[in-house]
Amino acid sequence: MTYFVRRAGFFLATLWAAVTLNFLIPRLQPGDPAQAILSRLTGKSQAVDPAQLEAVRKMLGAPDGNLLAQYGDYLGALAHGQFGISYTYYPYTVTDVIGDAIPWTLVLVGVTQILSFFIGTVLGAWAAYRRNTRADSWITLGSTFVGTLPFFWLALLLIFVFAITLRWFPDGGGYGGGSQPGWNWLFFSDAFQHSVLPGLSLLITGPIGWILGMRNNMVQTLGEDYARLARAKGLSRRRIALTYGARIAILPNVTGFAIALGSILGGTVLVETIFNYPGMGRLLLEAVSNKDFPLMQTLFLFTTVGVLIANFLADVAYGFLDPRVRRTEAA
Amino acid sequence: MTLLEVENLSVTYSPRDSAAVRAVDKVDFGIEEGEFVGLLGESGCGKSTLGHAILRLLEKPAAITGGSITFDGRDITHLDEDELRPLRWADLSTVFQSSMNSLNPVITVREQFADTFAAHPEAAGDRPDVDARAGELLEMVSLGRDVLRRYPHELSGGMKQRVALALALALRPRFVLLDEPTTGLDVVVQRDILDRLRELQRKLGFAVLFISHDLGTVMEMADRVMVMYAGEIVEDQPAGDMIESQLHPYSAGLLGSYADPRDEVVQVAFVPGRPPDLSREHAGCLFEPRCPVSVDACRTEHPELLPAGRGQARCLLVEQSPDDGALLRDVAPTDRLGGVFSADSEPRARGAADTEPVMVVDGVGKTYRTKRGVRTTTTRAVDDVSFALRPGRVSALVGQSGSGKTTIARLITGVERPSSGTIRFKDTRVDTLRRRAMRRYRRHVQLVFQDPFSALNPTRTIAYALGRPLRNHLGMTGEQARQRAAELLETVGLSPAEQYLDKLPGQLSGGQRQRVVIARALAPQPEVIVADEPISMLDVSIRAEIVELLDRLVRERGIAMLYITHDLLSARLLADEVMVLNQGVMVEHGPTLEVIGQARDAYTRRLLAAIPRPGRSRESWPDEPPNEAERVPAGS
Repeated sequence: MTYFVRRAGFFLATLWAAVTLNFLIPRLQPGDPAQAILSRLTGKSQAVDPAQLEAVRKMLGAPDGNLLAQYGDYLGALAHGQFGISYTYYPYTVTDVIGDAIPWTLVLVGVTQILSFFIGTVLGAWAAYRRNTRADSWITLGSTFVGTLPFFWLALLLIFVFAITLRWFPDGGGYGGGSQPGWNWLFFSDAFQHSVLPGLSLLITGPIGWILGMRNNMVQTLGEDYARLARAKGLSRRRIALTYGARIAILPNVTGFAIALGSILGGTVLVETIFNYPGMGRLLLEAVSNKDFPLMQTLFLFTTVGVLIANFLADVAYGFLDPRVRRTEAA
Repeated sequence: MTLLEVENLSVTYSPRDSAAVRAVDKVDFGIEEGEFVGLLGESGCGKSTLGHAILRLLEKPAAITGGSITFDGRDITHLDEDELRPLRWADLSTVFQSSMNSLNPVITVREQFADTFAAHPEAAGDRPDVDARAGELLEMVSLGRDVLRRYPHELSGGMKQRVALALALALRPRFVLLDEPTTGLDVVVQRDILDRLRELQRKLGFAVLFISHDLGTVMEMADRVMVMYAGEIVEDQPAGDMIESQLHPYSAGLLGSYADPRDEVVQVAFVPGRPPDLSREHAGCLFEPRCPVSVDACRTEHPELLPAGRGQARCLLVEQSPDDGALLRDVAPTDRLGGVFSADSEPRARGAADTEPVMVVDGVGKTYRTKRGVRTTTTRAVDDVSFALRPGRVSALVGQSGSGKTTIARLITGVERPSSGTIRFKDTRVDTLRRRAMRRYRRHVQLVFQDPFSALNPTRTIAYALGRPLRNHLGMTGEQARQRAAELLETVGLSPAEQYLDKLPGQLSGGQRQRVVIARALAPQPEVIVADEPISMLDVSIRAEIVELLDRLVRERGIAMLYITHDLLSARLLADEVMVLNQGVMVEHGPTLEVIGQARDAYTRRLLAAIPRPGRSRESWPDEPPNEAERVPAGS
């Protein structure tokens, strides 16, 4: 039990640190965003009119008061889910913008990540179970080969074959063809159609790491004394592979999976850009290229918090899966 | 009827990228129902491979390449995995080497019993009462039933080994293979487990093949002993006969590694050289290059395993002598052994007891604090210990696992600071040194580790391993460092040095690696060497060699040595004085022979009793609870 309490404590402490850093870093940076915006508007050489500067400040809602007061305001705003107004999508709030993007990413990347992990673990375990057979060679060599292909090339190939040549699926976007976001069948089937190609590209590349990791871990555990003893005990191959192999080999992958899940919130910039998908990744790209500080800051916060939560969950899961950590931590 | 019959069995390793190795070569023997047979040999002689072959557990690249294994009249050499499964564990079970890693770390002990029962409904019944039966088995090996709920990492090494033993007996097998079942455990724990094992074997009547490199244990436990060398059985005799007279010179060499440390003159032997490369063909006797009594014919003629005395031997000398083995028996024991190292009651011609000490440890204590939630527990690892190390003298620090020996080593080397007391090196206070000064100090105090396999970086050459301390402490680089590294190798008997400089640790034997570790400790020309059980991981046949090397270095270079061990025999051979540590307190100290000869402390007496003395009945145990040495390690 102490293990879980300690983990929760660590989680809260890191969360606070992350939130605070997110507050401090932009404030410690040199330069004034209002000044930067104005300079861009007017050109570098020209003098900036103080009144204009003031107006821009007002528009941005630039903070006033001392750092501590700002910090208090910031925490209060966070608690109420207020992240300010996006510069790019003015006058929409950051919350609105992110709220629109997040379901797309959550569904597309979330589903593919979970599927990738599942497929990768099963294939990797299978390869280890049948190690040094043809099945193993196919899985290992196949995934190594696919892993060497550049992702964008693979994605473009998919678009070329299935969207442009065969015209089975649309070549980009999240929805279209006359449907409007809402709880209706037309929209869902349309959104699904649009998600097939980006999803496929993620599913082709996603499992590779899990396959290779799982296979190598499991080949190693199956070579350990306890696996040999299990064979000597006359246990069935299945029982050995599952309880004495996969059960132990999966442990290191759990942490990796949690981090992968956590980074979902950040979206996958490459996929969403290639497929012009309206998710968090594309939003991040826009925020960065438009110097949309409130949006950027919030996206970073989201990613950090996502990774933290996922890590915490992984620690909890690890505590259940691996009795060894519970004790080592307690001592 | 013979329960297990091994005929002409050969096992070959055929790795993809190197030459095939004949690890087991035409081995022939049988084990009767209920018989306890020992299989003795040094590491790499093929004994574990033979064991795995019998259990049909060989994995690629190893495979049976000839001969047959018959169990209870049934040929099991070529059965497939499905045909073997009902036989496994129900008829043939095993306890693996030291079992540190032979229990599944993520499931409870109970579950490991449960899956065994579940896999064998024919032997265990359809619905076995796991708790009752496993509990009973655990009690049989002196463990409580609560162990069922524990995970392996919550048990000490000795407890794990007991669980493994209980597990092996779960289905009442008729044959149990014990592969070095107690190596790596504390001597006293080892004793307890082996005693219990022998008792159970007599009671339950299963047959045993006991594989070990520890001759004393094998001799004591087994009815019959087989000696294996380079993949062949070279001798097979009833244990009693073998103690009286060994037929094969190799067995004689092995037996010579034991002596009673309480004797006035202690003499132990070693077998110099290393076993032959089995990937090549050899014409003559495989032991010939290391054999002290070989004759010309040995080089060309391969001896057969022929009856001799009440057993068998593979030696031309035995074959040719009219009276079995008489020839060997006539040779004086010291002459038929390759090398002898002896210590007598006279003080060594080394540093005298009254020379100025280089290192003085005064009233040192070390307390560890462990936090568990809000509670803080303090453990006194070392309590008010004082001693001095003098140039050219060896002080042995003896004690069981957890007695604080290693903590003292860490304090002396400056890895940790004492909580109380002072440590002085010449005029320097070691316990208060800071960074730069500490680095300079470390040059003078070097360590020799226990495990030569993990003490060297496996990806770096020997020249590199020796070059590091030369560069860090003496500022030597390039050709100069290489030159010095070569000299160091010659010093520790690895000659010609050029042959070793560019090798990787993996290409050396255990003994050679330990020599490299010693050479590395010598590199910065230290005045104090702390040797932490430097021979306990090595084969018995070469231990005395390393002891001799250490002795020579201490004498020639006037080094002060702290020799940490639980092996009283080696302490007797090497040390001028002995200090006995029990739970952090120094309970005895004095000149070696005095302490060992008139041991007062209960632990010292148990250590003495634990030293195998083949052929002599063991002394009874001092009255002590048997499990005292096996407390669950606290928070390790």
